[in-house]
Amino acid sequence: MPILTIHAVNQLLEGLEDFLDKSEAGFAMIIDRGGAVLCQQGSIAEAADPSIIAALAAGSFAATKELALRIGEAEFSALHQEGEHSQIFICGVDNDTVLVTIFGPQTTLGLVRFYSVRTVKRIAAALQESRTNQRIVPVFSAQDVQSTQNIFGR
Amino acid sequence: MAIINYANKEVQFKVVYYGPALCGKTTNLAYIHGQVNDNNKGELVSLATAADRTLFFDFLPLNAVVIKGFKTKFQLYTVPGQVIYNATRQLVLRSVDGIVFVADSQWEKMEENIESFKNLQDNIARQGQSLDNIPYVLQYNKRDMPNPAPVHYLEYILNNRKVRVPSFVAVATTGQGVFATLNAVSRLLLQKFAWENEQAVSRHQHAGHPPASTSLSGIAAVSSRR
Repeated sequence: MPILTIHAVNQLLEGLEDFLDKSEAGFAMIIDRGGAVLCQQGSIAEAADPSIIAALAAGSFAATKELALRIGEAEFSALHQEGEHSQIFICGVDNDTVLVTIFGPQTTLGLVRFYSVRTVKRIAAALQESRTNQRIVPVFSAQDVQSTQNIFGR
Repeated sequence: MAIINYANKEVQFKVVYYGPALCGKTTNLAYIHGQVNDNNKGELVSLATAADRTLFFDFLPLNAVVIKGFKTKFQLYTVPGQVIYNATRQLVLRSVDGIVFVADSQWEKMEENIESFKNLQDNIARQGQSLDNIPYVLQYNKRDMPNPAPVHYLEYILNNRKVRVPSFVAVATTGQGVFATLNAVSRLLLQKFAWENEQAVSRHQHAGHPPASTSLSGIAAVSSRR
């Protein structure tokens, strides 16, 4: 199971912070390909829920991968959507994770794309290190679950 | 797969509602969304056709109980039930932790239920997994329809694997059985996760690593440097 230690999260956050500084994008997050948020940095509109953006981005990126397979490509390296005020750029990090970047008119796709390349390498290395040097610590026991009454408050 | 985040002290799980077309998967999520406290739920997102049939998936993020200081989060998805959308179902099943199979109780839907359950097993197998290793429950929905098959018959055709799983009768439009189903699959997931975590900690210690409590303080120390 994927385990994000505090050390790993700090490394990912530093990678994203550096990426946002240099690319001048407003928001970036690392998500797994199943749609879960691993880590996020920057700000987006208050009404925007990162977990929803992650689910949609993972679905969208997975769909483009299927499209790529249909025309003989293993995967499209990136996906870009441009709106009137905001743009979204999605690119693969490794087999399990994806980088999602949201930016406005303050920067350009070229800059975001350029800095995403080394950010992806940095993040992939941090994730790999996290996988190989996992420090397993107890979360909660089966007995703790047993004694939990209402999981959703009803 | 469940994701443990020690920085936020949270564990995330993905639950997929699976089943034939029009069996009530989206209705389950809509009812849950309507009942859960605003602080503990996100928006219900439906990627549907103009005729309100699920095209890609429905998605509902929920915050649940805090156990031993760890927040638990559940992301609920539905798949499109229509046969032609199998590629989409495969995408939605990626990294799934738990499944609710929603069957339509009406007699004339039995073949579709069986086909859909078989399709679920096939799609799980395509991911290199087996349904034997994924917590799942069955929900026999639409019990209010005029011609429901008896529950024992549904059990006979759908709950006939090596290990029988929990099953629930439901009328998702009124909410009957909806939370019983969700609570059951969530509890199974939490128990499996806790058991696997205990096993991993035990293996880790036997491999000569420091005791868990020392590891945890080591991790906390990394955090306090920030």
